[in-house]
Amino acid sequence: MIGPFSDPVMQRALVEATLVGVCGGALGCWVIFYGLSYASESLAHGLFPGLVAAALLGLPLVLGAGVGLVAAALAVAVASRVPGVGRNVAVAVVVTSLFGLGVLLALSPASPPGIQALLFGDVLGANDADLALSGALALGIVGALWLLHGRLLAVGFDRDFARSLGVSAAAADAAVLTLLAGAILVGVQGMGNLLVVAVLIGPAATARQLSSRMAPMMLLSVAVAALAGAAGLCLSYYAGTAAGASIAAALVAAYLAAAFGRRSRLPITVEEVP
Amino acid sequence: MLDPFQLPFVQRGLLELLILSIPAGLLGTWIVLRGLAFFSHAVGTAAFPGLVLADGLGFAAPLGAFGAAVAFSAGTAVVARRRPGDQDSLTAMVLVGCLAIGVILASDVFRSGSNVETLLFGSLLLIDGRDIALAAAAAAASLGAAVLFGRRWLAAGFDPTAAKSVGAGAPYLQIALLGLIALATTAALSVIGALLVAALFVVPSATARLWTSRMLSWQISSVVLVAVEGTAGLWLSVKTNAPPGATIATLSGAVFALAAAARAMPRPGRRTCLSAAVAAVAFLVAGCSSVASNDSGKLQVVATTTQIGDFVREVGGNAVAVDQILQPNTDPHEYEPRPSDIEGAAGAKLVFANGDDLDAWIDQVVSESGSEARIVDLGAAVPVKLPGESSGAEASRYDAHWWHDPRNAEAAVEEIRRALIEAEPSNAAEFRRNADAYLGKLRALDRGIAKCMDSVPATQRKLVTDHDAFGYFAKRYGITVVGAVIPSQTTQAQPSAKDVSDLVNLIEREGVTAVFPESSVSPKLAETIAHETGASSDHTLYGDTLGSKDSSGATYLQMEAANADAMVQGFSGGKRSCSIHGIG
Repeated sequence: MIGPFSDPVMQRALVEATLVGVCGGALGCWVIFYGLSYASESLAHGLFPGLVAAALLGLPLVLGAGVGLVAAALAVAVASRVPGVGRNVAVAVVVTSLFGLGVLLALSPASPPGIQALLFGDVLGANDADLALSGALALGIVGALWLLHGRLLAVGFDRDFARSLGVSAAAADAAVLTLLAGAILVGVQGMGNLLVVAVLIGPAATARQLSSRMAPMMLLSVAVAALAGAAGLCLSYYAGTAAGASIAAALVAAYLAAAFGRRSRLPITVEEVP
Repeated sequence: MLDPFQLPFVQRGLLELLILSIPAGLLGTWIVLRGLAFFSHAVGTAAFPGLVLADGLGFAAPLGAFGAAVAFSAGTAVVARRRPGDQDSLTAMVLVGCLAIGVILASDVFRSGSNVETLLFGSLLLIDGRDIALAAAAAAASLGAAVLFGRRWLAAGFDPTAAKSVGAGAPYLQIALLGLIALATTAALSVIGALLVAALFVVPSATARLWTSRMLSWQISSVVLVAVEGTAGLWLSVKTNAPPGATIATLSGAVFALAAAARAMPRPGRRTCLSAAVAAVAFLVAGCSSVASNDSGKLQVVATTTQIGDFVREVGGNAVAVDQILQPNTDPHEYEPRPSDIEGAAGAKLVFANGDDLDAWIDQVVSESGSEARIVDLGAAVPVKLPGESSGAEASRYDAHWWHDPRNAEAAVEEIRRALIEAEPSNAAEFRRNADAYLGKLRALDRGIAKCMDSVPATQRKLVTDHDAFGYFAKRYGITVVGAVIPSQTTQAQPSAKDVSDLVNLIEREGVTAVFPESSVSPKLAETIAHETGASSDHTLYGDTLGSKDSSGATYLQMEAANADAMVQGFSGGKRSCSIHGIG
């Protein structure tokens, strides 16, 4: 029998989809909790100037994209502290200006053609270097979430109370946004820039319908992401549909099933405060 | 110095921007106040499937975009009613659904969508009366709604619970606001594109918010700021020949950063900061006022693609000034016309186009420039035509990559000679002489490639490449096209797992020794497949565009010779190569 995962391209795609799912699933719960859905959708466009600058300076593109993403994330953190400017407005301001700047920089004759396409990958095009990068970033993100869990929870529930415990809200915001930058870097190489939001929000929004406590929610979310990755690749294999879009469709289906299958949404509850 | 605002296409863009500043400024304040920034961005991006449908079925793009925007708003409202809670993650999920549908439609149903990318990014220079009418409708609706509902929106913005008790929390109010944002965003799409809509609808209002707190003055200053930033951005973009949308976005972001920095500063520092900003802007403007060069006395001609530019330069020689729109290494499938292109077309007597939908934007560029130039469709004049593969009403009847058969290039050169002689009979002798010399080289190229290919057994001539650009080349020289990594004639489609898996099996079964990435498309997928099957992916082909000046594919003759050499090396496992004489 020749199953979908018998050939190495598909095996690698499955590993990549799973690694992207681990990053997106675990971090996605915090993204929703911290109200960063818009940032997770749009930061991928903010990396553009970094990408072009790296190409013009002859540095590795992934490095430029990573630096560009972290800079965009920190700019959002700074801009949202301006009085009268909410976080969503900060995202709109930062991402729009950076994307515009990137388009202008890319007009330089020295910038390579189709520069976005050079970074924004396809889950089927994952090579060993991509898998290694995704694996390393997944480890880093899960490790950081493990270490910061208590502090992030405290800030998420009550910023003023967290300050009295000696946890800085600004530092927590910056930490979540920086981790988000890392997850997006993995995501754009696996899913392309338009659909990266699917793995960051889809699994967590699904898991949130099913669990109210943070730790089980994260585990559920990772499981949903991994299952949807495999299901999407199967769909793409048997129905012949675009791979990234099929994974996104599987995630939307999971969310709809969870949202309309239950009666009421559960609030997030505290399980521990350090 | 040329004044940009004297050009008709810039005037129309300016009018559109000034009309849009009313809905953008007014709605912008509500977007900032009610936290709808993500919604306003998402409703524009969610237009993607509507644009693909409009492109595939052949109806008006704004209709498709507005339909998708309405469906998106309705979807968000339905899910939000069933599942009240975090509005942003709901918005994100509905958006993901729309995008997934859009990508699947573009890759698997219509296999075209070549106009979608331009609409996602917008083009301020290619607007028509319909766009202006749409913007005016959005402006009138926003003004009316602001007068009717403004107070109640304000109440709901500050205290939703209290608003409910005074009757300002009615669902139709929220629906009216979301609907208006959807309408106004759609009107702005064709101008500035989905990814930069916030440059008009969010950033100026957020900037004005830093300095005023009363609603009326905030709204008025937002409208004024959108108009000023739009005008300045448009002026700068024509001066620097940059895309207007990106220029306006960068400018408004810079103004926001300056305003925020000035506000954070102690009072005495503000004046220094302000004067520094003014000095910086003055410096920028002074640096940008370039002098346009004009080859006076020569016949002004526009060529769309790099190949056609090369042909026209060969035939025209010194008597013709060629303004070539696409630069080397640009993908013609995703080109956005720039201010200089329209200025170039305005002064031209002749425009040479590729036809077959590869450069469909040229018609609009010419009509926008108010030029009387004749458009010569070279694709219609070539003798060898292969059927186009795409389906859908907008798909071209013929494969657009006709230049990969040198006999077609000969016919195109003859057509160029005829058109040039007709336009300037006094130089007929020179055009004839140049064309004859070049036609001789084209025939030498054709013979040379055929001879090279004969050195490889026919069973080894099996081609796998990035996209189906080489149908003509393969047919001419007896090469079997085994498959393409992106199995569609546009580079924007995404392959499915089945396509890739089938291709890997096919390569292994057929014993293909090389996979050829194309120079202007991302080679990653081709490399992965090559790696998997043990084939080589070291030989790059020139498909849609010539290479840059110092590359091996700087002219048409060099490009085709380089392709022949790469294929011979790939087919023979590096044992043979191909050099062609008589074309230098």
